[in-house]
Amino acid sequence: MYDVAPAHASALTAAILLVAFCGLFLLLLRVLARRGLLQTAESLLAAVDRTAPMARLAAALMLASGAIHLPLVPGHAGITGILFVIDGVGFIVLGAAPFLVSWWRRPAILWLSATIVAYVVWVVAGWERPDQVGIACKLIELVALGLAMRLANPGRRTWPRRLWRATAFPLMACVTTLGIWVGGLAHPDSLHAHAGALLQPVAAVATPEEQRAAAKLLADTRASIARYQDPAAAVAAGFKPSPMSNADPLRHFVNAANANAVLDPNRPQAVVYAQTAHGLQLIGAMYQMKRAGQWGPDPGGPLTQWHQHEGICFSPFGFEFSFETPFWTCPVGSTSITTPPMLHVWIIDNGKNGPFAADLDKTVQRQLTGRS
Amino acid sequence: MNQTRSVNNSASEIASVLVVVQASFSLMAGLSALPFAIVEPSFRVLGATTILMAAAMFLLARNLRRERRWAWRWLVAVEVVSLAMTVLLALLPIGSIRGPVPLLVNLVIPLAVLVLLAGAKSDARRAA
Repeated sequence: MYDVAPAHASALTAAILLVAFCGLFLLLLRVLARRGLLQTAESLLAAVDRTAPMARLAAALMLASGAIHLPLVPGHAGITGILFVIDGVGFIVLGAAPFLVSWWRRPAILWLSATIVAYVVWVVAGWERPDQVGIACKLIELVALGLAMRLANPGRRTWPRRLWRATAFPLMACVTTLGIWVGGLAHPDSLHAHAGALLQPVAAVATPEEQRAAAKLLADTRASIARYQDPAAAVAAGFKPSPMSNADPLRHFVNAANANAVLDPNRPQAVVYAQTAHGLQLIGAMYQMKRAGQWGPDPGGPLTQWHQHEGICFSPFGFEFSFETPFWTCPVGSTSITTPPMLHVWIIDNGKNGPFAADLDKTVQRQLTGRS
Repeated sequence: MNQTRSVNNSASEIASVLVVVQASFSLMAGLSALPFAIVEPSFRVLGATTILMAAAMFLLARNLRRERRWAWRWLVAVEVVSLAMTVLLALLPIGSIRGPVPLLVNLVIPLAVLVLLAGAKSDARRAA
C-alpha cells in the first residue's frame, strides 16, 4: 500500500549522500586537526566532541530530514513546495545548532512537532499521498524528537510534568501512525482498488480485440470450472480448501499442482466458493502468478487487470488478519506478506464490478452470504 | 555550547528512545487488530497480546533508563528474537521487506538497539 513514489527516490539518494558526506567531512577534519594544518578544523572538532552523543544523533537526523526535504521541492507546487523549502533549510540550520549554541533544544522540538503534525494534516486532507519516503522521513523526525525531548532537564518533578514527559512522545508516535494510516486509506491512488490491493497498470480503454479476448477468457473459465460445482469434486481434483474464517465469507480452494500454469482456464490456481446459507456455492476461479511483482498476461487489457495484495498481516495459520501499520508493523503472531499477482474471474453476475474485478460486488456478496 | 547532563550521554538513553518508538508502533498494531476481533474472536487474543507486549516494551524502556540489569537482559532477548524473525522472513519470498520503511523499522532499529545495549554494558563496566 505504501510504495516509493518515483518522484521521491531522489530524496533517498540525497539522504544517503549526506550521511557519506558528513562521514568524509569529519574524517577530513580529524586528519587536518592531527597534522595541525587548519586551526578551524581543531575548533570544529572540539565543538563536535563537546556535544552530547544524544544531541549529535538528533542533529544528524535533522540534517538527514533537511536533505530529504530539499530535493523534493521541484516536485511539489504551491504552498507545499514553499513549506518544503522552509522545512529543509530549517532542519539544516537546526542540525548545525547543537554544535554551536545551547538553546537549540526547544526550537528543535517545536520545529519537529510542527513538521510531523503538518505532514499528518496534509495526508489526512489528501493534499499529499503517503509513500515510503515520506513515512521514513517522519520516522527519522520522530526519533530526533524523542532524543530532543529526553535531553530536557527534569526540572520540577510534579505529577503533571512527569505524566507529560512519559506520555507526550509515545502519543506523538501513535497519532502520527494513525494519521498516516487514515490518510492512506481515505485517499488511495488510482492503482489501489481497495486497502491492500495494488492494481496492474493498464490502458484506460479496451480495444474491440481486448473485449473479445476478455469474453473468451470468461467463457472458457466458466466451462472449465463447471465440473467443480460440488466442492468434493474440487477436492478430488487436488484443490485444498483455505482455513475457515468468520472474517471472510469467501473460501478459496487452492491447487498447488497448477502453480506453474499461466492464465490457463483448464488449470486455474484456485476456485472460489461463497459460504451461503445452503452450503458452498461456486462463484469463480482465481489465476495467480508465481512471484510478487510479476504481472500476468492481460488479454483483455483494462478489462482483465491483475492485482496483488500487500500491506496485509497474515497469520502462520493462513488467514488474513489485519492491515499493517504505515510503519510496517503487524500484530504478534502475524507477518506482512505481499502475494503474487492474481486475477479473479467471477462466473456469476458480479454487478457493477464486472467479471474480472479484484473484489466481489458488495451487494452481490450480501445477497449470496448475508454478509458484506 | 551544549551543556547537557552527563547521564543523557549514555547509550542506554538513546536505546530507550528507540524502544519507545518500537513500543508505540506495536501498540498501534495491537489496536488495529481489535476491529477485526469483532468478526473473528480468536483475533482478540493476538490483539491483546500485542498491546500487552507494547506495554512491556514501555516498561523495559523506562527501566533501561534507570539502568536495571533485568531490563537490559529482557531487551537484548526481545531484540535478538525480533531481528532473527526479520532475517528469517526476509529470506522467504513473501515480500516482508520492501523499501526503506520496513528496512529501518524491522532491521536497522533493532540492530541499533542491540549495538547501543552492548555499548551501555561496556560503559557500565568502565564506570565500575
